[in-house]
Parts: sequence; C-alpha cells; structure tokens
Amino acid sequence: MRSDMGLIVKTTARATIPLIGIFGAYVVSHGHLTPGGGFQGGATIAGAGILFLIAFGFGEMKKRYNHHLYSVLEGFGGLVFLGAAMLGLGVAFFYNALWHEGPILNGQPGTLLSAGYLPIMNLAVGLKVFTGLISALFAIAAYRRWRE
Amino acid sequence: MIAPEFFYSALIVMIGAFMALLRVFFGPSVPDRVVGVDTLNTLVVAGMILLGAAYDRTIYIDIAIVYALLSYIGTLAIARYLQGGLE
Repeated sequence: MRSDMGLIVKTTARATIPLIGIFGAYVVSHGHLTPGGGFQGGATIAGAGILFLIAFGFGEMKKRYNHHLYSVLEGFGGLVFLGAAMLGLGVAFFYNALWHEGPILNGQPGTLLSAGYLPIMNLAVGLKVFTGLISALFAIAAYRRWRE
Repeated sequence: MIAPEFFYSALIVMIGAFMALLRVFFGPSVPDRVVGVDTLNTLVVAGMILLGAAYDRTIYIDIAIVYALLSYIGTLAIARYLQGGLE
C-alpha cells in the first residue's frame, strides 16, 4: 500500500499547509481583537500538521517529528502562561501589570500591541495546543496493535 | 445596517444544505455520504459568508475561512481511510 496520497493531494498540501499555518498564526496573534485565540488558532495550526500527516504519510512525518522538542515546547507554553500570570504578583495573581504600568503592550485598545499580557498568553496557549495536538495525533498514528 | 436580501440568499443556501443532508441520511453507500458531507461543508461556508454580510460583521469571514480549510482536511482524512488507511 502506498504510504502517501496522490500527486494532486501532495501538491495541494504543499500549497495549503503554509496557508493554514499563517492563518492559524493570525488567529492566535489577534486573539484579543477578533474571534478565536489561543486554542482555536493552535488547533488550526495543528490542522496543518494533520494535513501533512495525511498527505505525505507516516514515514515522512516520522522524519520531521521530534518528540523531545515537542514535549519541551508544550511545557514551555504552560510555563509562559504561568509566568505572564505572575507578572503582577505584587498586587494579585493574574493582575494585568503590563496593561496598567507595563513598558510594552499597553497601546490604544483595538490595536495589536494592546491588552497587556493577553497576546503573550494567547501565544503560549497556541504553542501548547499545537504541540500537544500534534504529539497526540502522532502517537495515535504510530500505535499499530492491529499488525502484531 | 441589516440587508434583508442576504438573509434570503442564506435561506436558499439553507434549503440546498437540507437537500445535501438528505443524501447524507439516505445515501446507500459510504462514498455517497462523504460527498454529501463535502457538499454540506461548502454550503455551510457560503451560508457563513452570507450571514456575515447580512449582519454586517467582517470578522465573521475569518470563521468561514477556518471552516473551509478544516473541512478540506476532514474530507481528506475520510478519503484516506476509505482508500485503505495510513500505511
């Protein structure tokens, strides 16, 4: 059985995977302005990874997937979320210190560089969701008990 | 500003979506149902765009784009399964 799909699907995937990735990055980075945010954008970027796995097959995915890197990045996303939550620990947990007196991310509401720690948290959650979903999908694809 | 003609066209798209849903319900074979679901996805994207125009919200278009991209992946996954699975 072929490990990858046909030529049309592979060429379409080459064109579509960057599109999905860039659109997911847009959804993540504009999470405080438009619908979406960390989880939705991360799941969209994970959709690009699933498209890669479907179109190019498991062997090609295995060459490019690094379990340790993805595991470290998932933990890093959670730590960045907690670190952003602890920025204003002098007042309270989850106190938005970047918005009230921070040096960055306190622009006019409605612009990209506003809303304090929210973009940082969106990026962290997006990274965590993307790496977690890709790791889960890869583990499911690698699990082949039916062959034995 | 709410434009009523976009609601009417969304209603027409909805009728087409129900007809695609009939194929999903009564399709005798699995590929019939897959084609029905694929048609339904496209019609849902069209409905999202029309409703976004009807409610005059440009940010609704983002959701339609995401849905169009992800429905393609879903159809591709089902096709991959029907042709024999991953390796």
